[in-house]
Amino acid sequence: MRLSAFSGPRKGIFSFMRQDAFSKCHPLTNFVFFVGAIGFSVVFQHPLYLAASCAAGAVYLVLLNGKKSWKLIAGLVPVFFLLSALNPLFNSYGERVLFHVFGKPYTLEALFYGMAIAGIFVAMMLWFNCYSAVLTSDKFVCLFGSLIPALSLLLVMVLRMIPNLMRKARQISDARKSIGKGAGETDNFREKVADGMNILSSLTDWALEGSIVTADSMRARGYGGAKRTSFQIYRMTARDYLLLGFSILLAFIVMFAGGTEATYTPVLYIAPPGWGLAAYCLYLLIPSLLHGKEALQWRISISRI
Amino acid sequence: MAHFHIQDLTFQYPNAAHPSLENVSLTVEKGEYVVLCGQSGSGKTTLLRHLKNVLMPYGKRSGSICFDGTPLEQVSQHDQAAKIGFVMQNPDDQIVTDKVWHELAFGLENLGTDPKTMRLRVAEMASYFGIQDWFHREVCNLSGGQKQLLNLASIMAMQPEVLILDEPTSQLDPIAASDFLNTVRKINIELGTTVIITEHRLEDIYHSADKVVVMDQGKVIACDTPRKVGQLLWLQGHEMFAALPTPVRVFYESQGAGDCPLTVREGRSWLTAAFEHHPIAVAEPAPEPAPEKPKAPALQVKEVWFRYEKESPDILRDLSFAVPAGSLFAIVGGNGSGKSTTLKTICGICKPYRGTVEVFGKPLKAYKPKELFQNGLAMLPQDPKSLFVKKTLREDLAEMSRDKEAVAAVAETCEITKLLDSHPYDLSGGEQQRAALAKVLLTKPKLLLLDEPTKGLDSFFKQKFARILRKLQEEGITIVMVSHDVEFCAEYADLVSMFFDGQIITTDTPHRFFGQNSFYTTAANRMSRCVFRNAVTAADVAALYRANLEGKP
Amino acid sequence: MRQSTLFSLLTCVVLIPATLFLGTRLHGRWYYLTCTLVIIEVMIPFFLAFETRKPQARELVTIAVMCALSVASRVVVLIPNFKPMTAIIMITGIALGPEAGFLTGAVGAFASNFFFSQGPWTPWQMMGYGFGGFLAGLVFYRKNRRRSPVVLAIFGFLTIQLVVGPLLDCCTFFTTGSKLSWKYAAAVFGAGVPYNFKHALACALTMLLFSKPLLGKLDRLITKYGMMNTRLEA
Repeated sequence: MRLSAFSGPRKGIFSFMRQDAFSKCHPLTNFVFFVGAIGFSVVFQHPLYLAASCAAGAVYLVLLNGKKSWKLIAGLVPVFFLLSALNPLFNSYGERVLFHVFGKPYTLEALFYGMAIAGIFVAMMLWFNCYSAVLTSDKFVCLFGSLIPALSLLLVMVLRMIPNLMRKARQISDARKSIGKGAGETDNFREKVADGMNILSSLTDWALEGSIVTADSMRARGYGGAKRTSFQIYRMTARDYLLLGFSILLAFIVMFAGGTEATYTPVLYIAPPGWGLAAYCLYLLIPSLLHGKEALQWRISISRI
Repeated sequence: MAHFHIQDLTFQYPNAAHPSLENVSLTVEKGEYVVLCGQSGSGKTTLLRHLKNVLMPYGKRSGSICFDGTPLEQVSQHDQAAKIGFVMQNPDDQIVTDKVWHELAFGLENLGTDPKTMRLRVAEMASYFGIQDWFHREVCNLSGGQKQLLNLASIMAMQPEVLILDEPTSQLDPIAASDFLNTVRKINIELGTTVIITEHRLEDIYHSADKVVVMDQGKVIACDTPRKVGQLLWLQGHEMFAALPTPVRVFYESQGAGDCPLTVREGRSWLTAAFEHHPIAVAEPAPEPAPEKPKAPALQVKEVWFRYEKESPDILRDLSFAVPAGSLFAIVGGNGSGKSTTLKTICGICKPYRGTVEVFGKPLKAYKPKELFQNGLAMLPQDPKSLFVKKTLREDLAEMSRDKEAVAAVAETCEITKLLDSHPYDLSGGEQQRAALAKVLLTKPKLLLLDEPTKGLDSFFKQKFARILRKLQEEGITIVMVSHDVEFCAEYADLVSMFFDGQIITTDTPHRFFGQNSFYTTAANRMSRCVFRNAVTAADVAALYRANLEGKP
Repeated sequence: MRQSTLFSLLTCVVLIPATLFLGTRLHGRWYYLTCTLVIIEVMIPFFLAFETRKPQARELVTIAVMCALSVASRVVVLIPNFKPMTAIIMITGIALGPEAGFLTGAVGAFASNFFFSQGPWTPWQMMGYGFGGFLAGLVFYRKNRRRSPVVLAIFGFLTIQLVVGPLLDCCTFFTTGSKLSWKYAAAVFGAGVPYNFKHALACALTMLLFSKPLLGKLDRLITKYGMMNTRLEA
């Protein structure tokens, strides 16, 4: 099973002006938040914490991607049940035996544990999808551009070339079809592979030839000379600092307030939740609340006109 | 002090039999607008690349190049990067990063500019070039013209003193090309930046040049004002004369009197003045022979509708036309109007959701897969490189046909016999075009589709290409061509169609077609319509001029 | 000692053991974070070496092209799940050296996830593909051994079935498993076998048909422009 199957190709990932307040914050603020959100989701096994994470992740994903996100969320539901049901097959600890499978006990504790694991998985998927929508490539480069300048330039160049090559691959394939050479849907495996290799060969020639021009263009514009600086399109504003401080504060409260313990097998133990849970919910809702606040402000300002 | 001073520059590539540059001496003053012209392979690009150290080709070199009085090799890399801007031919490959804003800043980042200055310079350039609307866009979503403008802007952000442009518009459509060249002109006039430019399409820049340099086989054969260079080339009977702007060609070919016109406007006044007191006896070229009995159409498109996706707008709407067998049928029209999609629909790559396409009287759907492409139909794509998949041209052609004689014959027709053992990417643009055509012809098509076949070709290669098309027509091949190149269509097509808004608006013979249009027509027609009717090529105008003024005392 | 070597040593000797130590001391699900961190730390020396070398334009562009090519190659063949990606990464490693192979794989995987979605799989994919390229480079780069397509195909097949595929499956194992049990590992890696087999087959076929032309093209570029010599060996 390959996990990436749970994320379809997303259109508009590059749309810069996403109308989401949190997406417009500084990449550092975004990044720190997601490290916390994903990190906590992975580590906490407490059912309430997990439920909070899944719910907040789903809400924010819907705010971000609208209709498209429902498909993903709907897809995660069966995964949740499957993973939950699967766990007791490999983990037969626990006291309350429900029934036997292949002579092994299928216990309630293990089932609960499975649900927790599945919950972690679902939360992680949701938050990673939010992460991908918010932390676009240029934000990543902004964050790490000065730390790893060569690699981030490499990344930017790769991102530039991928759509170019995809388009060219289609062009080559069309050109071959229009002289009766390309493979169609009806052809057999052998022909399809042979045609694919021909396209790949042509594509490689084209790309390598272009790379010489690109390298010339880089050197003509002074690459490889002085120490590079990097253009910052994002600036830390007062609000960014505030949000950053606030999320770090909340994260500390979550970590040290306790009440996150939960063990399932062999004995079921779930700690009574305390202030930590409240702080956790607030933390996870930061982007959604910010989004809501801005949307509300727009409503109000429109109604005034 | 001269900006660039080149003295006796000779250069030879390793393994080359002849030097690519021979005793080139040239001086470029500050703020000058210099147009460098010559056929493909005359050494223009090689010369331009010598003006910047990092781009200098490897090989044997003698002579000197000074920039602002200092030998170029002593100018620091930093200064060269900042002061000498270089725009290359291919808009796509020059772009390094994925975002417009990042590309604008790329050069400044390399120079180590501090963030504050960088912000300002980027903002300035974006505003000057009108880029602010697409500042945050992905580079891959830009049009060719926008990409090339971005390349120019990202170089201008470094505030160069000299701008060197190596055929910057050869990959652009005419409207984007003239926009681009106007911007370059504006930079030259408003900022005083020195411009050194090479171009095939001299029409747009020739008249505004301070100095025209003509190169031939690595030598500078002329270096003077545009008017004097025109005269010189005419007197020498040089091949480059054919590349000069229409007014100049008309003037000399008609042995006209007075000052040589350089632009359409000057051409008009020159013609008007010449015929002010002279009755016009012959007002239009001999009418084209009436079309013979209409032959059975080789291709018939009937009420075709097409769109790429369910939600997207229609690209073809109610498209209908018929192409008589044996003719050269040209489709002209604006960028993105759906001309290329039309060709794809004829090939069956795009499937219309309404209407039919009939090739040789048989609907496309009735053909078995690939049957259509055997002795039937074949298309030459816009980028000939799309067709090359092998290491040498010979192997590429062998992919199409095992018959060695057929390959040799086609190679002969396309004039590529000598090139068969080269790597396809080592050929020039014109050679690649003919090599790709050879590959297409090996399917033995009876209907040949050409998508922008003259894109990026110089006048010499265009003539060669036209000769090949004539030969194919004589063999009975029907040719459908989509093009922006009105001059080419006017000269060689049998029928011309105007494509607009997903359909064909009108179809006529070139003389009547371009004679009726007032904007979308050839320079010769625009220049001569004040006195003649339906004259569409320089030869037409020159012939009429002479016919009318002969017998004049 | 060069700075990058020092950092790499520090990573191997201090950072990774420290992460592992901390990871084992904590209870619950911390092991997932620990493994992911270790995976990322393992990649640090490669990246650092590249950074401190200050790559020249041609080298940078060539690696970028190979990355993009490996990603774009997935649309080239009409057969679903036929991905020549790993083969291209390995060939890059063979032609340009283990380090370039690693970078092509790692950056290619990372970049392609910007078009799909980043996820818990990202570091594992980077590591998996990168290691594939590294290994191919280690075995075949600059060796006078004949690089026959058949040998490369067998190598590619085995590497994917035994190394790259299982590395990718690790992610599934760590994110969906409740305990690090052998039974569950067997189940996950067992389930991965047919999938990896397809992947390996595509790679082997690509190697068989395309390794010679692609190596030829890259060699042509290297000799034509004389890049990457010396620098990658250092």
